[in-house]
Amino acid sequence: MKKSYLCIPFLPFLFVAVAHAHGPVRQKLEQEITINAPAQKVWGIIKEYGDMSWLPTVKNTTVQGGNTVGATRVLTLQNGGTITEELKKYDEGKMSYAYKITEMSTSKTITHAGAEEKVPVLPVDNYAASIDLEAKGETTVVTWKAGYYRAYLNNKPPEEMNEEAANTAVKAIFTEGLANLKTLAEK
Amino acid sequence: MLRPKYLAVAIALATVDLVTPLAAAPFAYISNQLDDSVSVIDTQSGAVVDTIAVKGKPAGVAASPDGNKVYISTPEANGFAVIDTKQRKVIGTVNVSEGSLGITVSPDSKHIYVADWYNNTVSVIDDDSLKITGTIAVGQSPSGLMVGPNNRWLYVANRLDNSVSKIDTQKMAVVKTVTVGEHPFGLTLDTRGDRLYVANVKSDDVTVIETAQMKVITTVKVNMLPYATALALNDSRLFVTNQDDGSVSVIDTETLKEIGLIPVGDKPEGIATHPDDRYVYVANWFDSNVSVIDARNLKIVNTIKTGEGSRGFGQFFSTH
Repeated sequence: MKKSYLCIPFLPFLFVAVAHAHGPVRQKLEQEITINAPAQKVWGIIKEYGDMSWLPTVKNTTVQGGNTVGATRVLTLQNGGTITEELKKYDEGKMSYAYKITEMSTSKTITHAGAEEKVPVLPVDNYAASIDLEAKGETTVVTWKAGYYRAYLNNKPPEEMNEEAANTAVKAIFTEGLANLKTLAEK
Repeated sequence: MLRPKYLAVAIALATVDLVTPLAAAPFAYISNQLDDSVSVIDTQSGAVVDTIAVKGKPAGVAASPDGNKVYISTPEANGFAVIDTKQRKVIGTVNVSEGSLGITVSPDSKHIYVADWYNNTVSVIDDDSLKITGTIAVGQSPSGLMVGPNNRWLYVANRLDNSVSKIDTQKMAVVKTVTVGEHPFGLTLDTRGDRLYVANVKSDDVTVIETAQMKVITTVKVNMLPYATALALNDSRLFVTNQDDGSVSVIDTETLKEIGLIPVGDKPEGIATHPDDRYVYVANWFDSNVSVIDARNLKIVNTIKTGEGSRGFGQFFSTH
């Protein structure tokens, strides 16, 4: 019975994790690509919020709510991990939309500073992103932007959950996604 | 915090024929968190006239009302940097604690208050000695700070507790705490210190508090992820940065209704009103620039390029 007493002091710390404090420095990433195809064609590939088949790392997508603000999509990744995202803005006329990660599965659990830490499939926290198209004659400029914090919610992060890990992971997705979008649109 | 002082100066100048000329237009000190720098904007020319290197991911800004110094919180350097506004350089750093973020100076310029995001404390630092003279226990993840006009009351937004506390600066203790919306962050006090506005990041609204009793007057819905607020035109209008909407909501403080929505840059964060009480400056974090809004017609009159990750969280206007 004594053991259960030991757990009590840890409860406040658990609460902090659940309530989402975040790192002090928000990170950002912006990538742009020029695609040699008309904007309507490029938009046609990405406009369905529930279809992320243009992003190679995504195996399949399910959606609730279609292209309306508040819709939720679940991306199942090639490695089996899942990312749940909520649609925050959708503008057909401007050919842009914005979304936010609301939930993620854990890729692995590590021990850091004497506590178990769940590393999310995308090692970020509080992630919000937008994707915008701009027609430039017969070509299209696609801009993908994201703002996010590192995954670790307290100070002194482990390397799996620090700013560098977050930036590397997001950058990899953007680079791969935009390159593939270009390939698909220029076909 | 600057406004009452400016008003006093303006009145003094208008009534007494002083020979001392008024300094050039005030300067805005914008922290660029991802650049480890602070941009100094000359508000008369509308251009950045200096960029000061500040290590430790500068975030919060507190200009001393006497115009001599600007304090910049540096969460990754565990404290804050002291900028001398005449030399426009860092003349010292103060070690406070690991999660230093929110920062403010009392209207009499005597005390600096720093909120610690991780340790749930507010530290009190003496302006002259730059020594910590006290530490006040507050709620979880304290963020925005502001001191009332008589230097007696300090208000703090406790982000993870969904509350705002009123602190007696003489007793250095919380005297009252009120529940607000979800995840309060930036807060603004009106000129008389009677009313407090708090932006709630998670519930997308602003809580209006009457400070004498610390009672909620009302809650005003704004847009996605409101971050910080600023008052202009004799406290008649409140401007709120909506971080995830790239806009600023305008609230009429009499009717307490939203009367406008101004598109600004991407991820607007820090916001403060020029001492002229008319132009509102907004730091756009993602776009790394500052939008200047005319509070009268709600139009953008200028956009000024600053540095990477402009945050400007706090009172960033200084006379020098």
